[in-house]
Amino acid sequence: MIQTRNLKKSFGAVQAVRDLSFSAPDGAITGLLGSNGAGKTTTLRMICGVLQPDNGWVRIDKPVGALLDHIGLYPRLTARENLAYFGELRGIPPIQLAQRIEQVLSQLGMDAIADRRTAGFSQGERMKTALARAILHSPQNLLLDEPTNGLDVPSVRALRGLLRQMRDSGMCIVLSSHILEEVRILCDNVAIVSAGRVVAQGSPEDLCSQTDSQSLEDAFIKLTTSQENLECLSTL
Amino acid sequence: MLVHALIVARKEIRDHLRDTRSLVSSMFYALMGPLVVGMVSIAVHGEKSSAVLVSMMSVFALVATFVGGMNVAMDAIAGERERRSLLPLLMNPLLRRDVIIGKWLAISLFAVAGVIINLSGFAVVVAFPFHLLIAVTLALIPLVLFAAAVELLISTWSRNIKEAHTYLSLVIFLPMVIGMFLVFFPHMASTWLWLPVAGQQLLIDLLTKGAPVSLVSSLALSLVTAASAVLILLAAAKLLHRDEFVYGS
Repeated sequence: MIQTRNLKKSFGAVQAVRDLSFSAPDGAITGLLGSNGAGKTTTLRMICGVLQPDNGWVRIDKPVGALLDHIGLYPRLTARENLAYFGELRGIPPIQLAQRIEQVLSQLGMDAIADRRTAGFSQGERMKTALARAILHSPQNLLLDEPTNGLDVPSVRALRGLLRQMRDSGMCIVLSSHILEEVRILCDNVAIVSAGRVVAQGSPEDLCSQTDSQSLEDAFIKLTTSQENLECLSTL
Repeated sequence: MLVHALIVARKEIRDHLRDTRSLVSSMFYALMGPLVVGMVSIAVHGEKSSAVLVSMMSVFALVATFVGGMNVAMDAIAGERERRSLLPLLMNPLLRRDVIIGKWLAISLFAVAGVIINLSGFAVVVAFPFHLLIAVTLALIPLVLFAAAVELLISTWSRNIKEAHTYLSLVIFLPMVIGMFLVFFPHMASTWLWLPVAGQQLLIDLLTKGAPVSLVSSLALSLVTAASAVLILLAAAKLLHRDEFVYGS
C-alpha cells in the first residue's frame, strides 16, 4: 500500500511536482499515466526515498523495490554477482541470499545468462537483471518507471505476465508510463498525471465513463488538456 | 554501519581486479619513476648523481601514491553516475557515508599497491636497503589515504568520467609542483613540514639521505594527513547527499 499526499518538488525554477496525491492499494497494478515531463519519474523517486519532497508526505507500510530509469549494472560482474552485491547491502543472510537469487533467476528465466558478465547483455537482459535486483529482497511494494522501454515483444509479454503474477500474490505495483495501451491492458487503477498533479484516478473504465469518452485516449486528452488550451486550439 | 562500507569495498576490489587493462596502465605509471631514474643513473656517474637520484625518487614516489588508485577513483562515483548505477546503489538501505568509506578503502588499497610496486622498482634500480623500503612505505601510507580521499572527492564532484579524468590528471601534478618548489626554495621546508604531500616529500628526502628523522614530527605529519583525509571524505559524503550530484544534472 502506497499513499502520497500533496507532494511537491522543485528543481530550481522548474516545478516538477506541484501537488500530487494518489493511493495505490495492495493486490493491484496502479498506473501513473502522463505525458513526458508530467512529474511521474520525480514522484516515483520521492516514493522510493532517493529524493526528498519539498512538501507533502509518502506513506509506505512495507519494503519497497524499484526499477527506475537508472538501470545501470556493473559490467565486469556477472548477473549473479550484481544481484549478490545488492542482496548483501540489503542485509540478506548468505544462505537465504543464495536461495533467493536462484529463485529470482528462474522466475525471470535468466538461468542461461546468470553467470555471464553483464557487459555484453542485450537491453532486455539488462532490464531483466535490473528487475531481478529490484525484487531480490521480496518487497511488498514495487515501483517501475516505464518498464517496457526498449524491450522486444516477447519480453514485454513476459514482463506483463510476471507483473500480473506478482499482483495476484498481493503485491502493490505502481508503474509509470506514457503508453496508453500498456496502461489500459495492465493496470487495475490509473492515476492521470498532468503538470505535476493527479487530475483523475480510477479504473480505466471509470475514467472513460467519468469523461464520457469512448477510449482511454480520449479520456486522457480531455483530462489533461485544460479549457484554456482547448480554446487556444480551436482558434487555430 | 561499517559492514556496508566493507561490502562496498570488497565489491570494488573484485570489480577492479578484473579490469586488466587499467591495472596494466596503472602499473606502467607506477614503474615510470624507477625507469626514468634507472636511465638517468646509467647516464650520470659520480658523487653528485646519488643526490639527484634521491630527490627525483621522492617526487616519483609521491606521484605513485596518487596514480595507483586513480582509475578506481574515476570509476567510483563519476563512473557509477555515468553508467546509471549510482541511484540503484543509493536506494539500498545504507548510509551514503558508508558508500564513500567503502570506495575510499578500495582506492587506498590499489594506491598502496601502486606505491609498493613503485618502491620495489626503485629498490631494484638504485639498490637501497630493505629497511628503508619499509620506512618509506610506512611514511607514505597516510598520504595514500589522503590521495584516495582527494580523488574520491573529485570523482564525486565530476559529472562524468571524462571530467573526472581531466581533474585527476591535474592532481597528479600537485606532488610534482610541490617537489619542484621545494628544490628551488629549500628554506620554505620548515614551514611546509606539516602539510600533506610537501611534508612527506621532505620526510622521504631525509629518510633516503640517511639523515636523522624525528619520530614525533613524522607521527604528527601522519596524523595531520590522515585527519585531512577524513575531512575530505566528509565533504564527499556531503556532496553525495545533493540531488544534482546523484543524478548528474
